[in-house]
Amino acid sequence: MRLLSLSLFLLFYFLLSSCDASSQHTNNWAVLVCSSRYWFNYRHMANALGMYRTVKRLGIPDSNIILMLADDAACNSRNKFAGSVYANPGRHLDLYGENIEVDYRGYEVTVENFLRLLTGRLSSSVPRSKRLLTDSSSNIFIYLTGHGGNEFLKFQDNEEVSAHDIADAFHQMYEGGRYNEIFFMVDTCQANSMYSKFYSPGILATGSSVVGENSYSHENDYDIGVAVIDSYTHYVLEYMEKVNKTSRLTMADLFTSYDVPKIGSHPGVRSDLFERPLGPGNPNHPMSEYGRGRGWTVEGGGEWMGREIEAGKNGRVLREALITDFFGGVVDVDVNNEDDAELRLFEDPECISTPKAPLSPLTDTYSSPPSSRSSSSLLNMLDTYPFLRPFLAFILLGALFVLVFSGMTSGRS
Amino acid sequence: EKFEEYLSIKSLRDGRVTSSFSFTTLLRDAIPRDPRTLAFDDDTSQHYTLFPLSLGQILRQYAITEMHLTLNAGKWNYDTWGYPDEPDVGVGAELRAWMAGDSISSIDERWQGVRNALAGLFCASLGSLDEQRTTSPRLSFPPEGALPDWGLPHELRHASHASEHVCTENLTPFLKLLPCKSLSGLATLLNPHRIFDADWHGIGLHVLWRPEGVEVRLNVQLVFDPLRISAQGKQDWSFHSLFDRKVEKACPVASSTRVSVELPNSGVYRVYPEPQEIRDGKAYYNLKNNNEAWNIGTMWPTDFEYRICHAALSSPDPALVPFSVTRNLLGPTQDRGQLSIVLTNNQQDTLQLLYLETMPWIVQFYLHTIRVHSDNVPRDDLISNISYVLPVPHARPATFESVLTLPGRSTLTFSMDVAKAFLRYTEHPPDAQRGWDLPPAIFTPLNQSLNGSMSLGSRVYTPSLLVDLATPDFSMPYNVIIFTCSVMAFIFGSVFNVLTRKFIVVRVRPDPPRNQSVSRTEKRLEDTDSDTSNELNTSKSGVH
Repeated sequence: MRLLSLSLFLLFYFLLSSCDASSQHTNNWAVLVCSSRYWFNYRHMANALGMYRTVKRLGIPDSNIILMLADDAACNSRNKFAGSVYANPGRHLDLYGENIEVDYRGYEVTVENFLRLLTGRLSSSVPRSKRLLTDSSSNIFIYLTGHGGNEFLKFQDNEEVSAHDIADAFHQMYEGGRYNEIFFMVDTCQANSMYSKFYSPGILATGSSVVGENSYSHENDYDIGVAVIDSYTHYVLEYMEKVNKTSRLTMADLFTSYDVPKIGSHPGVRSDLFERPLGPGNPNHPMSEYGRGRGWTVEGGGEWMGREIEAGKNGRVLREALITDFFGGVVDVDVNNEDDAELRLFEDPECISTPKAPLSPLTDTYSSPPSSRSSSSLLNMLDTYPFLRPFLAFILLGALFVLVFSGMTSGRS
Repeated sequence: EKFEEYLSIKSLRDGRVTSSFSFTTLLRDAIPRDPRTLAFDDDTSQHYTLFPLSLGQILRQYAITEMHLTLNAGKWNYDTWGYPDEPDVGVGAELRAWMAGDSISSIDERWQGVRNALAGLFCASLGSLDEQRTTSPRLSFPPEGALPDWGLPHELRHASHASEHVCTENLTPFLKLLPCKSLSGLATLLNPHRIFDADWHGIGLHVLWRPEGVEVRLNVQLVFDPLRISAQGKQDWSFHSLFDRKVEKACPVASSTRVSVELPNSGVYRVYPEPQEIRDGKAYYNLKNNNEAWNIGTMWPTDFEYRICHAALSSPDPALVPFSVTRNLLGPTQDRGQLSIVLTNNQQDTLQLLYLETMPWIVQFYLHTIRVHSDNVPRDDLISNISYVLPVPHARPATFESVLTLPGRSTLTFSMDVAKAFLRYTEHPPDAQRGWDLPPAIFTPLNQSLNGSMSLGSRVYTPSLLVDLATPDFSMPYNVIIFTCSVMAFIFGSVFNVLTRKFIVVRVRPDPPRNQSVSRTEKRLEDTDSDTSNELNTSKSGVH
């Protein structure tokens, strides 16, 4: 009896742990956004197209890629090489190619369309190729590039999207079961501020520069006449050239390939919302020592949010995050890992479909979700009744004046 | 089903080469869907082998009878290039569809649906062809095919977006509609790096109903400049020099793959390889599978002779089109201007033209200011049959159709005052300082046949215009906020100081003698009352 109960207990333990390990994705999507227009922002379009080519090479089909280009660089009348976009000065590789589908182009790349695309709130007339048809087992790679600043990104030199907007959109996606995991990469000035406001689970984020720092372009081409690629994206794409569809390189391998002197800015990583471990990474890189080293300033939180809990993530039960989890199509089902295969037999079907509850001790530390329970009901009322704000301001100002006047009159006596 | 490919190449007068690809798929015995069956969701199942499935689904879902979509870039120079093979050469995106329906709302709903579906299919921003750009011209666009007789009236919806860019992402889905894609047949020549470098390029989709069945015609028209592309500056062209490709093998499902090269009228030249058939001044090739790739071309032994337009030239070149047209928007201000059309009749006979203007509401016409002059003589009788649909601001463009009569060998000037709108702050595009592209005007010759009936000739499109509207200072909201906050802070500060600062008059007594220490403490006690006015008094001590 004892043995049975013990085995049952072990089974239950494995069941519970397999709940966490069963975050297996079944399809991959990519949303690649170039948010700036005009010819001198050629490099942003080259950034997005470089990512497009990499993502396609690693296996995500065109139907699962949403490419948003705010301007036309390839067939621009200023482009000496018609129909081509290059990302290096020697013009060795044409990123536009002959088989490309741009889903949102020109004036259609707006903040409203971007947020509607993410949350899925599109009108019924929007065609299928412009929708993000993800489900709760989709891994999404979201890449933003353009001009930005502290907690904002400029769209078309006309409007801005803030980090709060994107965080709220991601939370809507989480509550709607629209993603399994999100990998968020942003290459703008002060990019790390863009992911500082996320509060939904399952998001791994990386940016190109810390708050107060610019991201720089990499190289100019003298025949095209403008800068052709940004530094951070260039080095990321260079690293991704080593990755193919079956590689087992982990996300930490990508992050520990960041070379701050070469990139010219301090890239950052945020992994506190991400349950799975990032992997060992390159042992020579200071990041793998969890803290110290050349280039990575780590005092006061530094550029790796979630570094402290990284050591605590269980690498055996939770699979490591591979680069191909986000960048590639799901091509091979790994049955070599016997533990996983055993656990699969006893999977509780209910366990897979329910969205994972947020791991509360982790999220509270960094940014708390705006819930109706917290803070005060006054703030809530202010939101629901918009006339209250000026009314209260008027009352308070009047009270101030009354006090001042009464104080004056009493002071005279 | 039948699939045919046809390429026609012509050398133009100024050394350029125009090529027109045409891929036609005929779905035999098919009829467009009756819109009354749209209420029932299920449709009779459609089986296609060569007909493109994605396009067929769109046509069935919105019950479209006839549809024409073109995506063009460049200015078609009628005077030196003549008429194009496919007449729809308006710049940007142009979409028109004939739909049957018993209510306007159902037609408009299906129009919106088909626009967005085609926007998704062709990666073009056709979704912006909304009611602010849609018109229904009555006469200028007769249906090219037949309209089925269901007892329902057919209506035309036409919309154009002159600032639409065309690039490889529009060509990719276009090629995917072909049965052989771009792997074999004439479509292998469609190299985007050369197409989008051409002086003029356009891709078009035409769906119409013939009694034999539904026909889908995909066409690509290009105007290349071999004098610019070639290293030696010669007029010679070949598949390899123009497209950087050769036709390796013919499409296996094509019933015919033909190429026709129009033989130039004069000069010594050689067309290679040997044409299989020469008829009516054209050399015909039937591309069947050969051992080597097909590389058709023409070469001239001598360099190109640039023609000099000299009035004293004995035989000026005969005009390629019967009339020439230029359209301009005159006026230096940003609130009003003048639309001016200058038409020249190149032939001896009187010419009647149907003039269509689908102007967005941002430019409003004053019809009472129409002035028509023929060779500088005011002739108001030369304009007739004016049909005008008023523009509704923020909702509907203006549709202006009229018949202009040009006497032989004369120049007609048409001018009309226009007012430019002042847009709302949110209606400006992100690059507002560029201006707005106005769609081209369309001129259709009316041919009077012998028995008195009118028929329409080949359409002529003018280039688009750019109108510069008054743009606000987009930084003004920031300036207003900063200014208002400064004023508020200034007012608040002043009022606060007035209310809380107390000014007290302090009487300063003369210095007491040294032996009176008591009065010094008294002075100190008095001074503590008016601490703040000490600074004021230090300046007055001298006066005292």
